[in-house]
Amino acid sequence: MKTLIIGLGSIILIGLIAGMFIYENRDEDTLPQYQMDTGEPEDSSNATTQTEPQQEDLWPVDGDEISYSLQNEKLHITYDKGESWVTVPVEKDKLFAGEYNGNKQSLIDTSYILTEKRAAFLYAEGTNWEAQTVGIVYSEDQGKTWEKNIVTESFPALRFRKVDFVNDQFAYVILSGGRTMSQEGTQPYISEDGGKTWTQTNTPGTTRLISDGAFINEKTGFLSYGTINPDQPDLYVTEDAGESWEMASFQMPEKYEPVFVTAEMPVKEEDHLAILVNQGPNGDYLGGKVKGKFISKDNGKTWDFSKEVQPNE
Amino acid sequence: MNKNKSRKVFGWVLLLITLGFFCLQMGSLFVQARYDASYVDDRLFYILNMVIVICLMLSIWFLLKPTKKIAVSFTIIFALFVIANGILLVNRMEDTKNILSVSPDWQHVLSIKQDGQSKEAVYYRSYYGILARPKEQLPYAINDEYEVKWLAKDVAAFTYKATDESIQQFIATYGDRGSGTSYYYVGGQTHGVWQAKDTKVINNQEGISITHNGETEVFEWDYIEQFGTLAIVLKKDHEAAWTIALKENFEVHADASKKTVGNIVLYKASLEESEPILLEYQGEYE
Repeated sequence: MKTLIIGLGSIILIGLIAGMFIYENRDEDTLPQYQMDTGEPEDSSNATTQTEPQQEDLWPVDGDEISYSLQNEKLHITYDKGESWVTVPVEKDKLFAGEYNGNKQSLIDTSYILTEKRAAFLYAEGTNWEAQTVGIVYSEDQGKTWEKNIVTESFPALRFRKVDFVNDQFAYVILSGGRTMSQEGTQPYISEDGGKTWTQTNTPGTTRLISDGAFINEKTGFLSYGTINPDQPDLYVTEDAGESWEMASFQMPEKYEPVFVTAEMPVKEEDHLAILVNQGPNGDYLGGKVKGKFISKDNGKTWDFSKEVQPNE
Repeated sequence: MNKNKSRKVFGWVLLLITLGFFCLQMGSLFVQARYDASYVDDRLFYILNMVIVICLMLSIWFLLKPTKKIAVSFTIIFALFVIANGILLVNRMEDTKNILSVSPDWQHVLSIKQDGQSKEAVYYRSYYGILARPKEQLPYAINDEYEVKWLAKDVAAFTYKATDESIQQFIATYGDRGSGTSYYYVGGQTHGVWQAKDTKVINNQEGISITHNGETEVFEWDYIEQFGTLAIVLKKDHEAAWTIALKENFEVHADASKKTVGNIVLYKASLEESEPILLEYQGEYE
């Protein structure tokens, strides 16, 4: 009994002393080192540098003439198949901020524009995931000069992000974030001065997960919802640049009712709009890849079925 | 005989307490290393160490009745241990300043740790009341003066003077007024006119205007920052001016046409004593 208590006491004492050593050594960096972001937009700068391959030779992600590379922890763009490169003045991690689970080898599909006329990349920064600053860094002279502008000062963890220019002046950004289970907030922003200043538009008020969105001109825009088990297209249309949204109605032939469920983005065809509606993630009609084509003659408010479209068409 | 028995019972109870705290300490150390967590207050580690050793010493005393020589040597060993922990505790207090506040219903702990030298502070999210993990760094370093006020059972307003002498506010939130499954905007949910005795808040498309004791301030949406899904901070000239938080009875509706139910609370960002103002919903802004 005496031995038991003494033994137990010794073990406790030794354990505590060992614990103290562990605690003291572990705690040398008491406060985790966060990177401080000031959130201040940077002014236009000519500070772009032509990079020379120092660490790893850069390779374009694809074989296109105009392409990019995310090697060496930076974003570089090329306009000549990788002969010469320009570094984009944005940290690589900021391009993938928010809800992103990929390998960061290629950019998020809709989060950038890279054409001969324009290079634009959406990024998010800030230590607070629930309120990050979302901005756009862009160049209109193939990377000689860059400009950074804030789209929104505060946005919760990004999931969906899309940027596009309808023409030289009118651009839009669609963001979604703060996802909890299958609900999130979606917010479009528009710019009428070529991406310099951004205004938040109204939203349709639904909290379903967005699948895609776009403006086809300066007034008309679409938001398509439903990525998890959709059962019918959930498409909203605005004709006043996002001031008001109304739900589009689909004249769906009965046989396609549970089949074509997720609207893609409309395109202009002659005197009407055309849209493809796909089968969503669980579709199995004729292999699951066939889409339904719908036509609208009233600028996207109502849609009539036109035909089935094979995946290779 | 009776005295002897109670001495033994007391000894065993103390030994059990010792073992309980020891397991807690070791378990916490493991969890801390595994999940990059720490105690909500760094001082807890040393205080627990001291409590364990004092209980152990007393239980040995009561149970074994050691000879004087052994008792003295035990006492010296334990005393040295307690002193060492005391010194480390003081050192730790110089390195890191711990700011702790427990919610009125004892369910949440606000934990902020400040680096003694750089004055930078990190907000910790608490788990199980005693453990915490770093969540985010406060945007401004703290210049010693601060004030913590719980605006609801799950909303703590941390008002502090930054090193650039500006007044800033950080709001720690621990709950939700919706279904808990979706994000919503506090600004959007509190549209309309709100009133208390000498205070009126109008929330509309342009922003939020606050009239308090006859003075009106207007805050555009660009200068309003949301924390969690429970509070917004209204800013002016890069300083926090007011906080608006949703009270426990506030109901969040995805459908804006539904009637607004519940109260909001308005709290002035100030280091002087200021009480949160409870506001009643008056109706839509005409």
